Amino acid sequence: MNTSLPEASKPSKDPFSEEALTHLDAMYGVACKLTRNPTDAEDLVQDAFVKAMRARDQFHAGTNLKAWLFRILTNTFINKYRRGGLERSVLDGPDADPLADGWVSASTMRQLRDPEMLALMPIVEGEIQVALDALPAEFRLAVVLCDVEEFSYEEIAQIMGCPIGTVMSRLHRGRKLLQRALYNHALALGIVKGEERVGGEVAEPKESKTANLAEYRARKRGAA
Amino acid sequence: MTMHDCRDRARMLGSYLDGELEAAKILEIDEHVGECETCREETQLLRAMRGSLKRVVRTAAPAGLRDRIGVAMTAEKVREDARADASQAKDAMMAEALGAKAPLVSLSSWRTMVPLATAAALALMWGAATRGTQGASTEARAGFGDDLLAELVAEHSSPLPLEAKDPDAVRGLERYVGVPLHPLSFERPGLNARLVGARVVPLHAQRAAMLQYVVGTGDDMRRVSVIVYDAQKIQIGTANLSPRAVGTAEVRVGREKGYSVASTQRAGVGYLVAGDLDPDRSAQLAAMAYDDR
Repeated sequence: MNTSLPEASKPSKDPFSEEALTHLDAMYGVACKLTRNPTDAEDLVQDAFVKAMRARDQFHAGTNLKAWLFRILTNTFINKYRRGGLERSVLDGPDADPLADGWVSASTMRQLRDPEMLALMPIVEGEIQVALDALPAEFRLAVVLCDVEEFSYEEIAQIMGCPIGTVMSRLHRGRKLLQRALYNHALALGIVKGEERVGGEVAEPKESKTANLAEYRARKRGAA
Repeated sequence: MTMHDCRDRARMLGSYLDGELEAAKILEIDEHVGECETCREETQLLRAMRGSLKRVVRTAAPAGLRDRIGVAMTAEKVREDARADASQAKDAMMAEALGAKAPLVSLSSWRTMVPLATAAALALMWGAATRGTQGASTEARAGFGDDLLAELVAEHSSPLPLEAKDPDAVRGLERYVGVPLHPLSFERPGLNARLVGARVVPLHAQRAAMLQYVVGTGDDMRRVSVIVYDAQKIQIGTANLSPRAVGTAEVRVGREKGYSVASTQRAGVGYLVAGDLDPDRSAQLAAMAYDDR
């Protein structure tokens, strides 16, 4: 009775979906990092592409389709998995202690990337994977969009719906947290020696939202 | 250079590597990285981490996902086109009913309109069937019939193209559905219902006729389907519909999937009206089956 069904099962020849699907692998890779679960990632990516199809009239030809698709992916993720928005993850994130710049010496940093360490690459990359998954979602997304997908700060700000300053802060903190995880891992393996924190107690600038983290957490927990 | 200066620059290293610094700053950092071992190592470490991140995150989507999403996107497009057709069809039908020149698009646009009319006709038919000897047995079959009611309302909400557009052609469908069709019996002055056309709709192993009408005047024009079927062979569940008397007719009225439905039976023929009329007008339309001539 439904005459439209046979059409729907034909492979897509629509120019918009063809072009959008050239970004499928990138979307899937980032979705895996967002959901930390391949099955959820497939659902998320499919939802995002269908939404893009529905909203394709709002896309201006000639503008950045990839960034537009990632914006939809991010919004879909927030709506589906994090109704309260990305910043909620600071409640349980590993950013409890402020990070300082320069707490690892030049020689340690050299060791972290030197040939001996490179020989342990599978371990290191496994550790990066674990450390990345442990980052709060907003730091993880900023780092992945910048370092893996090579979006500009402005594009990341559009995708994440935040100011460029926030993008820079999230990137900086995210990378610092990854460095620390890598350092701790190398320390545990005995690849580097423990050292005094060179940077001492100098706290780096924080996002305004996380400025009073302890207070914020207490408030959120009280409200919950 | 003081420690403080170095730390300020260190914060810029990320932006430096990301290519987000202005030219003057790039030169400044270039110079600093040349002199400062810590910042140089930091830069190298950031580069190495970026390479690792790319290897860790980049992954091909699983086989099959691309096809699945392609199909889902196409299906979304088909749904949208159908919606666009539906509103076009509605406009075309209204224009036709008003005697205006209908554009040639009407065939595809009818797709959505016709089912509505069908469902309406069915609702009318059902009411007729419940009256009289078969009233009691209807209730017992409600389980099966409820599904049929939903199916007929679905025919109304997403109609197939019309097969007949004038009263004679509509009567010509009688031989396919096995019941008499009197398309003009619903065109009464009081209701301002005008025939638009009709088609045969399959109902499980049976067939019914779906007649499409436009009811109302001016800005208040509604698409209504009247589904006419053999009440001996097709039982539609009306357990959830409320009985009411309209003149000498016994009609059952209610709602299904947001549409107003009314059903009646007469002489073994069932009529179901579906549309977005108010219950009173649906009931009146269904009751016209009784005045059939």
